[in-house]
Amino acid sequence: MNRILLFVILSILLPVSQALQDLLPPIPPFQERLQLLPIVFAFGVLALPLLPALWFALLTALVQGLVLLQVQDGQVEIGLTLPVVFFLGWAFLLQMTSESTQGMRWELHAFGSALVTVSMIAGQFLTLCIKRGGFPVDWSVLMRIVVPSAAALLIAPLLYFALRFLVPIAPDDSGDRKPAGFGV
Amino acid sequence: MRKLQIAALVLLAVLAIVFCSMEAGPLRHLQTGLLGILSPISRSGSAVKDSIGSLGKDLMTLDQLQAEYDRVLAENRRLRAENGGLRDLQQENAHLREVLGYRERSSFRLVPAAVVGHDSGAWWSTLRINRGTRDGITPDMPVITDKGLIGKTTAVSDNLSEVLLVTDENCKVAAKVEGTKEQGICTGTRSPGGELQLTFLSKLADLQPGQKVYTAGVSGGIFPSGIALGTVKSFRARELDGMAVLEPSADSGGNEEVFVITGAK
Repeated sequence: MNRILLFVILSILLPVSQALQDLLPPIPPFQERLQLLPIVFAFGVLALPLLPALWFALLTALVQGLVLLQVQDGQVEIGLTLPVVFFLGWAFLLQMTSESTQGMRWELHAFGSALVTVSMIAGQFLTLCIKRGGFPVDWSVLMRIVVPSAAALLIAPLLYFALRFLVPIAPDDSGDRKPAGFGV
Repeated sequence: MRKLQIAALVLLAVLAIVFCSMEAGPLRHLQTGLLGILSPISRSGSAVKDSIGSLGKDLMTLDQLQAEYDRVLAENRRLRAENGGLRDLQQENAHLREVLGYRERSSFRLVPAAVVGHDSGAWWSTLRINRGTRDGITPDMPVITDKGLIGKTTAVSDNLSEVLLVTDENCKVAAKVEGTKEQGICTGTRSPGGELQLTFLSKLADLQPGQKVYTAGVSGGIFPSGIALGTVKSFRARELDGMAVLEPSADSGGNEEVFVITGAK
């Protein structure tokens, strides 16, 4: 029952975090925008058991893919395929890491959030370069990839403890694995 | 329990395949649906942000005075935006009066809108406004400010619309340079910097920094003629054409009030 509640709350947090990150001002002095969605995603896939984590990854891909959807002359530039593959892949990876580290910890969440953010932004850039042609890498492009990822690394622990406080995490009655391994 | 898990896994796989194979049309519908979900969060979040932002001002002025000031400011911006769009029409009108006789030209019908969120996506330049189909907004409508063109609407839900900014690489606008016969295509750049590129100019075009660039208003296009786009910063001749770098007229990052051109008056 707790797991269902956790899944529902995290699913509601996805569009909320998306809307919130769109409202937040850019990070000075680089004027780059904070990415909250990968932080919530990393928390979700680490906190949930494998199957709900995969569903949560699909939901994240849907939100992220649709928010960034651009249709040019009737053609979709980046559809849902890449976000679905990307978030499902990361869900598997983070689940395996969680297993090997005996449960979820704030450090794992912080590094997971930063890695998901950096690979997401860099992956989007590479996809656009392949689709549109050219490879305009300069200092501003690197900053656009690095700054939100570093910000995710720093902010993730705050969100981790806030989410742990807000989201009712407790061992499930069914005896299934997770989220018993939560630790600080 | 095991059967249930297998069923959930199969359903997940089927849904993933369905999402991956979706075409532009259904995806647009899904996107509109998501905008509908995000709309109340964005609008209320924006209202809270505005309240916090205006707290200091409210302490200094009376509420009624503030409301009146905001109304007059919005009206002023609307008129300036309208005036900017009419500049080119006025010149054209004067010319046609001389050559062909009088022909009535109409001005724009503007719908004021507030920006309720800037897209946090790293490589796309979009923002969201608090107007949608209920206000007569449809996709591919020009969005302007008193300074010039901001972009065009793309996805539109009941009361929230996404605007693709001119600074985005995907937004292409036919443009002409003030005082010359040069015309080209104005686009944004992938590198974050907020500059515009004007390409397909003549290699011999001798553009000088400071020259104004306006929308050309080609037939069949969505942008009317004469809306300010930017100012020339530099020009260089390339192998096949000339390219100018422009400073956008309207700062899309700082605008909280914009206007959607819904048609002619």
